[in-house]
Amino acid sequence: MPGSDSTAHKSKSRRPKYSQFSQQELPAFKLILTPGYVISTFIVVGLIFVPIGLISLFASETVVEIVDRYDNECIPKDFRDNRVEFIKNKQTNKSCTRTFTVPKQMKSPIFIYYQLENFYQNHRRYVKSRSDKQLQSKKNAAHIRECKPMGETDNKDPIIPCGLIAWSLFNDTYGFSVKGKDLKVNKRDIAWGSDKNYKFGADVFPKNFQVGDVGGKSLNSSIPLSEQEDLIVWMRTAALSTFRKLYGKIEDDLQANDVITVVIENNYNTYDFKGTKSLVLSTTSWIGGKNDFLGVTFITIGGICLFLAITFILLYVIKPR
Amino acid sequence: MLQEADIGVGISGVEGMQAVMSSDYAIAQFRFLERLLLVHGHWCYRRISMMICYFFYKNLTFGFTLFWYEAYASFSGRPAYNDWYMSCYNVFFTSLPVIALGVFDQDVSARLCLKYPLLYQEGVQNILFSWPRILGWMSNGVLSAIIIFFFTTNSIFNQAFRKDGHAVDYEVLGVAMYSSVVWAVNCQMALSINYFTWIQHFFIWGSIALWYIFLVVYGSLPPTFSTTAYKVLVEACAPSILYWLTTLLVVVSTLLPYFLYRAFQTRFRPMYHDLIQRQRLEGSETEISSQTEVSSELPAQVEIKMQHLKANLRQRNQ
Repeated sequence: MPGSDSTAHKSKSRRPKYSQFSQQELPAFKLILTPGYVISTFIVVGLIFVPIGLISLFASETVVEIVDRYDNECIPKDFRDNRVEFIKNKQTNKSCTRTFTVPKQMKSPIFIYYQLENFYQNHRRYVKSRSDKQLQSKKNAAHIRECKPMGETDNKDPIIPCGLIAWSLFNDTYGFSVKGKDLKVNKRDIAWGSDKNYKFGADVFPKNFQVGDVGGKSLNSSIPLSEQEDLIVWMRTAALSTFRKLYGKIEDDLQANDVITVVIENNYNTYDFKGTKSLVLSTTSWIGGKNDFLGVTFITIGGICLFLAITFILLYVIKPR
Repeated sequence: MLQEADIGVGISGVEGMQAVMSSDYAIAQFRFLERLLLVHGHWCYRRISMMICYFFYKNLTFGFTLFWYEAYASFSGRPAYNDWYMSCYNVFFTSLPVIALGVFDQDVSARLCLKYPLLYQEGVQNILFSWPRILGWMSNGVLSAIIIFFFTTNSIFNQAFRKDGHAVDYEVLGVAMYSSVVWAVNCQMALSINYFTWIQHFFIWGSIALWYIFLVVYGSLPPTFSTTAYKVLVEACAPSILYWLTTLLVVVSTLLPYFLYRAFQTRFRPMYHDLIQRQRLEGSETEISSQTEVSSELPAQVEIKMQHLKANLRQRNQ
């Protein structure tokens, strides 16, 4: 008989208090993969994914993108065999002019990126070589521990901003003109707001930067770091070895078949490590830049799901239990 | 006295507590033994074997995304995610659902466990923790990691990921991949268990929500502490539709192989507990009302399965 000890002398029951939780009898929803469930899941996924894929693909197709690799062509013919020497020589003329045609109308703002390949900004020792404290405030100027060997000059004077990331700042410049008229490039608001307002201090000015071995761009020491947008963009390290960084924006529209002339100062040395440099002009849509992968994959997965739904319907019909 | 046993069960009573003290499990009355074995024994076996397999799966999924990323970072040792994301993975974002699985999961209710005692043979014959099963879960983990990594990096490649033209950087890719990992392993848990109380719902969906809350809180700490995670969700990722679409795509693609396998397996190669579940679902009205003998009610397939298990048992005893 439940609830009482058959052999005990006391009549008090030692049965634990009943609760749904302790008896594992909580109300539960039991999920069982019945045929109806499986088929309807596949159909629902397919019907959601295929339209999303089509919309994403369409959005990606509306983006107009021009990619121009210039690091090979911008070396004069005499120096094609010793490019590293050309780029390191301070006397050579690094100007180079490129032209390309706009394939479709590009509405403003048109974003200008520089794209680097085979540049491992995600290498661990490279990424470590910076001092966030120093970048943030003037009083931390001596925090250069992580930045070795780019921490201080020979006279033990700290470099601001220190580290390899800042030292290797990209220094090619681009000047655009169409039909003989110069296009104005807006170089403001290219960095993230949180970087400008919090990570890079308004009271920190460059000091001892690029003295000695020059690795990249020099900085104007009268502009505080919070306004050095090129540096801020560069110091937000990239994820993979092929990456783009925002250079500026063009706020005019470009019409189809316009011929754009770009004057490039080919300063940055990517020839040492067989990196490549490209210039990218791109519009954006609600999904961002041009990338068909998302749209195509959505459509593919949706299609696979619908195919599986049909397969399962056939299997259940042909082989009923 | 017994020299060797798998499990020792002691019964506490007027003859003292000596048996209880030297046993693995103690019960109060002899008649509780049936329930201990058939209900709790079966549940416990299934819970533990599933929990171990799932543990391998979730850590493989997480760890292999790190490995693939290293191939793209010239194997320098740069982790794909911020340090604190990685520390909190096994503590906050994926631990509670596993606990819910290991403590609360029931594939078949207690009443049916007692009704079909042959279900206990699943444990004796080690059906749920065989090598094919373990390796199957592990390869599911590796496959999930491959899908997560390559789909994420190809969708969020080097183009702008928002309308305002900002290009992708390390922080954004890390958050995108990690979000996909957390969603995928938690939704995989939701697919694997078939018993949902409020606890399971709370733990699974709560863990996913906790990840986003963590991102917001950690991202609002000063940059000297939060380094690469500073405001990454509120400023960079949340307004980006591409980020959310990528998470949706990756999670569904990751779960598709397992879902397909389960759909196929429960229908064409059902295990004993699958048959009982299905029978309960379809014949639930007739079962409760008519308390007739078990063997005359079972459909042909359950009979065949029972014969198979009995034959196995006979073979092992010989």
